[in-house]
Order: sequence, then C-alpha cells, then structure tokens
Amino acid sequence: MATARPVVSIYNFENPSEKTGTMPMPVVLQSPLRPDLVREVHRDMAKNKRQAYAVKPKAGYDTAAESWCTGRAVARIPRAPGGGTHRAGQAAFGNQARGGGMFNPTTIWRRWHRRVNVTKKRHAVACALAASALPPLVMARGHKINQVAELPLVVSDGIQSLTKTKQAKEALKKLGCGEELQKVIDSKSIRAGQGKARNRRYVKRLGPLVIYNEDNGITRAMRNIPGVECAHVDRLNLLRLAPGGSFGRFVIFTEGAFKKLSDIYGTLKSGAPKKKGYTLPRAAMANADLARIINSTEVQSVLRPKMERYTHGIKRNALKSKELMEELNPGSTERRAVQLKSSQKGTPEYDEVQKKKKARIEESKKYNKEHKKGDETFYKTLMKAFEAKAAADAAKKAAEKADDEEDEE
Amino acid sequence: MHNDETIWACLGENGFCSFKVRWKEPKQDFCRNPYNVNGLCNKMSCPLANSQYATIIEEEGINYLYMKTVERAHSPKNLWERVKLSRNFLQALEQISKHLEFWPDRVINRCKQRLTKMRQMLIRMRKLSLKGGTKLVPIKKKTEKREATRELKAESAAKVDLAIERELLERLKQGTYGDIYNFPKKNFDSVMEKEDEEQELQDEDESDMEFVEDLGEDDEEWEDIDNKVEEVEVEGDLGMNDLEEVSLPARKKRRGKVEVEYEHEIDTR
Repeated sequence: MATARPVVSIYNFENPSEKTGTMPMPVVLQSPLRPDLVREVHRDMAKNKRQAYAVKPKAGYDTAAESWCTGRAVARIPRAPGGGTHRAGQAAFGNQARGGGMFNPTTIWRRWHRRVNVTKKRHAVACALAASALPPLVMARGHKINQVAELPLVVSDGIQSLTKTKQAKEALKKLGCGEELQKVIDSKSIRAGQGKARNRRYVKRLGPLVIYNEDNGITRAMRNIPGVECAHVDRLNLLRLAPGGSFGRFVIFTEGAFKKLSDIYGTLKSGAPKKKGYTLPRAAMANADLARIINSTEVQSVLRPKMERYTHGIKRNALKSKELMEELNPGSTERRAVQLKSSQKGTPEYDEVQKKKKARIEESKKYNKEHKKGDETFYKTLMKAFEAKAAADAAKKAAEKADDEEDEE
Repeated sequence: MHNDETIWACLGENGFCSFKVRWKEPKQDFCRNPYNVNGLCNKMSCPLANSQYATIIEEEGINYLYMKTVERAHSPKNLWERVKLSRNFLQALEQISKHLEFWPDRVINRCKQRLTKMRQMLIRMRKLSLKGGTKLVPIKKKTEKREATRELKAESAAKVDLAIERELLERLKQGTYGDIYNFPKKNFDSVMEKEDEEQELQDEDESDMEFVEDLGEDDEEWEDIDNKVEEVEVEGDLGMNDLEEVSLPARKKRRGKVEVEYEHEIDTR
C-alpha cells in the first residue's frame, strides 16, 4: 500500500503537542528505496577519510646481508655480515627471518580513496532521505521512535535559535526523542580493540540527526548532547544519513530545512534546481505491489482461464483391482463369474460349455472326414496337379528334342 | 514506492533489521519486536512490513488487543490502537472477532492463538508464585573452600573445651549448681563412715547377707541413679567444691552394705 502523503505537519518546538502548520511533502522523500545503492556508495565514500599506513620502506632490508651460498652447512638465506655481535651470521631479509621484512609490505601508494559518480552519490542521498521518512525503516535501523508524533519530523524554525544545551535537550525530549537519547547514554562503553588506546576510547549508538537551514546557535546547543548530530540542508552527508551503510537514520528537520529540500531537489519533471543536470531517481516500477498488480482487474481480465490440470491419483493396476477392471472393461466381472461357474459341474454354464465343446469336436471330426481322408485331400489334389504338369512338361521336352533332331537332318 | 513489499525487501531475508535474530542450526529467523504476534521473522508476521497488523500484548496480567492501520502509519506515537480484553476467555475471543471483523481470517486466528498462549502463561505464573519456589543459589567453590578452612582454623583457635571448662568452674564457684557434685575425698569418706555405722546398727539381725557383688542386681539399680543422687543430696551437707569429673557418681545403695565406687577421670572427648 503506497503511503505517499501529500502533506507533512510542522510542530512547534516549544510546545510539540501543537502543530503550527503544514507543508507539502518534498519529492525527494518519495524516492525509490535502494538499500544496495546506499550500501555501495557508503562503502566507497567511507574509504575517503582514511589515512595511509605502511611499514617503513626499508623495514627489514637495512642490512648488508648476503647469502653464504652453498658449502657452509647452513641454509641459503641471506645473512648479516661481520662479526663480534649476535647479529652476525643471523638470517635477514626474508619474512621468515627474525628482524626481516614482512611479506608483501604494506605501502602508502595503496589505493585508499574511491571516487564515486556524482549522480550516484546524489541518488544515494535522496534514497537515504526517503528512508528516513518511513517509520518502519527507522525502527528497523534501531532508533526508538515510539513516542515521536510523526515522521518525517519537522519542527518550527525557532529551534535553530536555541543556544543552550539544556533547552535543546528539553526540546528534543518534548518532541518524543527522550527514549532515543536515553538509548545513546546507556550504550556508552569502552571500545573493544586497539582503538581505545588511540583516542577512540568510547563507543556509543547514534541518535537523531538534526537538519537545519540557518545556524543561529543550534549546532552549539546540540553539540554536547550525546548521540545528536547536526547537518545543514545544503551539505547533507550520506555517511550521516546512512551510518554503516544502513539507511533509515532518525532525522529531525527544521521548517526552513524541510522547505529547502524541495528547492534543492525539485521534482522528477523539473530536475533539481540547485544540482546542475541532476534529476531525482526514478523507480523501476511505479507500483511495486506485485500482489496487487496480479490480482487487479486489468490483469485478471486478460488472462486465459486457468488450465485444468489432470491430477493423477495413485496408479492402480487393473489386473489387481477388480473395480478398475470393471471400469475399463465393463462386463469383465460378470464374465469372470460365468467362467468360474462354468468349471463347476452341474451348473447350466458348465453344461453350456460342454455342449459347445462337443459340437466343436463333432465339427472337427466331420471336416476331417471330408477333407482329410479319401482321395480328394488337399495334398493329393496338389500332387495330382503337380504330376500332371510334370508329365506335360516332360512330353513337351521330348517333342522339342525330336524336332531338333529332325532339323539337323 | 513506500508499500509493504518494498519495505519487506529492505528488511527481510537479505536485508537488515535490528529486530531480526538469525539462527543457523536449525535455520530459523526470529523477530524481537515486541509487537510481533508469533515471534518469527517472515513477511506475514513482520509488524514493520505490514501496515495493517494486530497483536495481543499482555501488561501486568491484562491482555490487550493492539491494532495498527495504514492511516496512522506515518505517526509512530499514535500508531497502535489498543483494546482491553475481557478476563473471560470466551468473551475475549468474541471481542477479537468483533474488532477484527473485516480483517483477514489468518490475522484473527493468530491473535486468538496468541491470546490462548498468553493466558496459559499467566496461569502458569500464578501457579508458580503460589508454590513459593525454591530460589537457586549457586555454589561458589572457591568461596566455600575458603570458608571451610577458615571455620576449622577458627574452631581450633577458639579452644572451645577450655572455654566450657572455665565457664562451668565459674558457675560452680558462683554456686548456680547448689551443693552437688564433687566433694573432697576425705569429707566424703567421713560422711560415708557415719552412714555405715547407722546402717550396721539397723541391719545387725539379718544374717542372710550377701557380701559379694551381685552383677544381676546392678542393672536394676542403674535405673534409679537419679533418685539415689537426690537421696545423697538430702543427706550430705558437705560443701564440695572441686569438680573433677563430669559423669555422675555410680553409687549403689544396698541392703546392709554401702558400696562406694570411686569415679575415674574420663576423657570427655
């Protein structure tokens, strides 16, 4: 179910239970959700703040070591020259040697940074903003927003002029962020790993991101509240909008900032006024609710009727199943019954069969008498004909022979 | 764009959701969201990916029917509408049917099943609380060992026997026991002699005396030790002070002859 609202309420930062007005929903916040894109762009963008690390270029090779070659009953690895110290004759250079260099030394010319296409970056930011406008995604990311009145949360511009942290904290609490702020405070713990000794001692969860248009003290007021971050609308950072690559950061907009979103990003038709040549991403599907589409009248009306599939039951063997045999060959049971009966003496069926048998035998006898005895049998007639023919042929031959002799004479 | 399908695509099998718990063996996904009906992570049961959803949630023994609809999807504060369910099971089922009248059957069934489960759980909880329940306390080996050794040491350091001795002596000195127990041998003998004389005078006539210890009779007389002791108390008015033994004097009174047995020091250990 699409929930693209036309209008967003603005809350009075001093008294959040009252709404000071409404504002149309910027088209950015309706961008298609692309977690894969955001993850990819975040991954690359996050690499850009890295500082190079490497081992010293000469590490492990700062000796005049040479291999002793064969013949000295030692391994052929290069050894430190000279004498008079432990070091002399010890192995050097190899990664296996003590004091030798590492395998594949880390270098400063490793490709630390990644460039990301500008459009891609912009799409990612648009997508992240859209995700921040959806309560399920913000909740899924882990923010506690159960007491927040509305998402996206837009607060009147007065909040930008706050100078005291106390006031800012009050304001946030009244807006329903109390649970979120508490979550951050409770989550503070010492970092696992070496980072704790490298000025990154504590880790804590992230809280809300406050996006403002004019900084009249808000950044300094919010600075010291654990978990809260501030950002200017013009300079939105994906690393803040989708920390860790997961979109759905809890974002609080000020009225001015929210208005400016439309000014910066524009609409799909107009393109983004403040971003040259850029238009907001278009969804691959306008309506991604597949179930709805398939079940709609437009689709259903054009489909052919559903095929009746013949579902075979368990195959039965007609020779074993009398019922099936009867189905296939009606009358077979009756016939079988008759057959059974006909072998029982005394029944009319039996007599019938015997009668038929007798008649057959009689017939056969009669036929044999006629055709298989006497002089007119098949064989005899056949032979007669054959002999007749043979005699005729012989006579013919003799006649021809006589003619030939006559001719010769 | 912002429909359930796309949201499930972001959260579901290949996506990320902070409430999802994945088990590899057996392969099963669970949902830690408190509003989930059956605790499983799939499209049908995800409270985030379904704009229309209903659950039963139990708070302090009361079951509530929670419902959410699309219309309030943008407002997390007002998202869930709740209905208090009757304590009567059948009535509660009817309430569910009524409130979810035009909802899909599956949703209604799932809510009713959850209600049943909740009620069973509550019954079990009540039963358990009545039983009182044994509280399991873990045994800490190290602590136990340490305490046992310390106990032994403390015991030997306290020297209980000596303390008891001292205490009893104190009490005896103070006179809390009256005039019982050990008397100095001399005094005791002298008293006894006096008694013997008296006895002999009385029993001169009887000639059928047995002067030999009769073991059989001993057993019978053992029973009346307490009585004998009392008799002695009454007779003897001799200030005895030293306590040397703890056991009672084995004293038998016989016809005509008073046999006195002396106590031997017995180790109380």
